[in-house]
Amino acid sequence: MNHVFQKLQASLTRQVFLMNQTLPLFRNTPSIQLPVWSSATSSERRYHSMPTHGIGSWKYLLSKKRTQKKKKDRHQMKQIVMATDSTYGTLNVKVSGYDMTLVERYTQYVHHLCNRLRINVSLCYALPTKTTEVMLMQEHGTKMFVDAVLKTHERVVQLNSLSTTVCPVFMDVLLKHQPEGVQLSVHEHTEADFKSRFKARPELQELMSHMNQ
Amino acid sequence: MAAPCAGMAGRPLGKFLSCFRRTVAVRTGLRQFSASSMCRATTATERATSPWNLMAAVCLQRLPVISAESSPLEQRFRHMIQQMELEKSLLSDHELRLLEDAERMSRKQSDDYDSDEEDGGRDQDIVLAQDLDDSWEQKLKNFQPAPRVSADVDKDLSSVQRCLADSLVLLAEQQVGSGKLWLLPQAPWQEGETLRQTAERALASLPAAGFNATFLSNAPCGVYKYKLPKAARTDSSEGTKVFFFKAVLSDIAPTTAINAPFMWLQKSELQRYLKPAYMMKVERFILDL
Repeated sequence: MNHVFQKLQASLTRQVFLMNQTLPLFRNTPSIQLPVWSSATSSERRYHSMPTHGIGSWKYLLSKKRTQKKKKDRHQMKQIVMATDSTYGTLNVKVSGYDMTLVERYTQYVHHLCNRLRINVSLCYALPTKTTEVMLMQEHGTKMFVDAVLKTHERVVQLNSLSTTVCPVFMDVLLKHQPEGVQLSVHEHTEADFKSRFKARPELQELMSHMNQ
Repeated sequence: MAAPCAGMAGRPLGKFLSCFRRTVAVRTGLRQFSASSMCRATTATERATSPWNLMAAVCLQRLPVISAESSPLEQRFRHMIQQMELEKSLLSDHELRLLEDAERMSRKQSDDYDSDEEDGGRDQDIVLAQDLDDSWEQKLKNFQPAPRVSADVDKDLSSVQRCLADSLVLLAEQQVGSGKLWLLPQAPWQEGETLRQTAERALASLPAAGFNATFLSNAPCGVYKYKLPKAARTDSSEGTKVFFFKAVLSDIAPTTAINAPFMWLQKSELQRYLKPAYMMKVERFILDL
C-alpha cells in the first residue's frame, strides 16, 4: 500500500513539474491567449474555443419576425394586387364539386401546374362545405321526404400577377384536364370574397347596433 | 356529367384594348385598297406602312365532354386499388343497420323470443334498412346512362357530338384567293379594331353558325405568314399574316344547317385537310391532351 502511495506522489510531482515547465512556453507564444488570472489550473471552462461550442443551439435559425407577430395580424388580408397592362391582378381559381377526392386532386394539379409555369401562387385555401338536401315529393301524400344529401366542396387557389402571355396556355391546359363533375371558375379577388370566409358574429353586431343607436 | 367552365367574367377589357392598340400600331399594315397617302394625312404620327395584309383567325375548340378511356394498365391498377380500399375500409352506418336488422330478424324467428328483452329500447322500424336498399337498387336499374361512344356519330365529321373524349377543332371551308381551302375561320383586319375583335367577327360571320365562344386571351397564340407567289406580288402587298386566337366553345344555338361547310376534327385528323406549311404552324399551339 505504501509503494502505491509513493508512486502516486511521484506521478503527481512529475505532473506539476511538467506543468511548470510548459507554462512559460505557453506564455511566450502570442497565438494562445490565456486569461491572466488563470494560472496553473486547467479546470477553467474555455468553451468559446472548444470546437463543439454552440453545438446544440437552434434559436438562430428562427426568423425574428415570428416572435414579434401579434395575434391580431394573422387575420389581416393580404394586399390585393392591381392589374397592370401586362398582368392580371389577384385572381381566384375556384374549384368546386360534389366529390371531395376529385376536387382536392384537381386543386393539387392546378397548384403543381402553377409551380411548373412559375406562376406566383399567393394562397391556397378551402371554403366551408355547403350541404344541399335533395327532397322529393312522396307519391301518395303532400309530405316531402329527404332523398339525398349532397355536399359541395370548394377549394380556391389565389394567383398574383398572372402574365397575359402565359394565361391562354394555362387556361387551355386547365380546361382540357378538368374532370367530370368538377366546376372551374376564375374571377378577380375582392374584399367581399375575403370577408365571406369569416363567420358572422350576431352578438357583436347586436352590440354594435345598440352602441350606434 | 359534362363539366363546362363557368365564365371568366370581370376582366377589365379597356386596359387590354389599350395595350393591344399599341402593339397593333407597331405592326400595322394597310389593306390593298385603302389609299396610303390619305391615311398618312389623317394620322398625326407617321405610321410605318408594311406590305403585309393582316388577318385574324379563330381556333375554336370543343373541350372533351367525358373522361378519356383508360388504358389496360390503368384499369388493372384501378381495380387493384379499389379492392385494397374495400379491404381496409370500415362498415358504414347503413351497413351496420343492415346487419343489426338481419340479426334481429333471426332472433325474432327463434322460438324463445321476448320483445321486452329487446336491447336499447329502440322502436321497431317501419322501414327496414333492407327495404331501403331494395328501393335504391330499383332506382339504379331504372337509370340508363347514355352510351359513351357511338360509332355512327363519330364518323360524321361535321357533328359537334363526335368523339366526346377528345378535344376537337373547328375547320371551315373558305374562299382564299382563287380556290376554296379548308382552314381555321379567318377574317381580314379592318382599321380601328383590335385583332381579337377581328377574330370574333370571323367567328360570327361564319354562315349559319351560332357558336357561342369564350376567347381565352387578348394575345394571339400563333402566326402564319403567307407570301404571295412572285407573279402576284406588288409594291403594297407582299403577302398575308394570319394571327390565331384560341377560343373555347360554350354552347351552340340549335339552328345549325345540315350542309354547313364545317368540320370538327381531332388534331391527328387535321393533317389530311390542311396544307403542310399551314399545318406546321397551327399544330404548335393546338394541345392534344
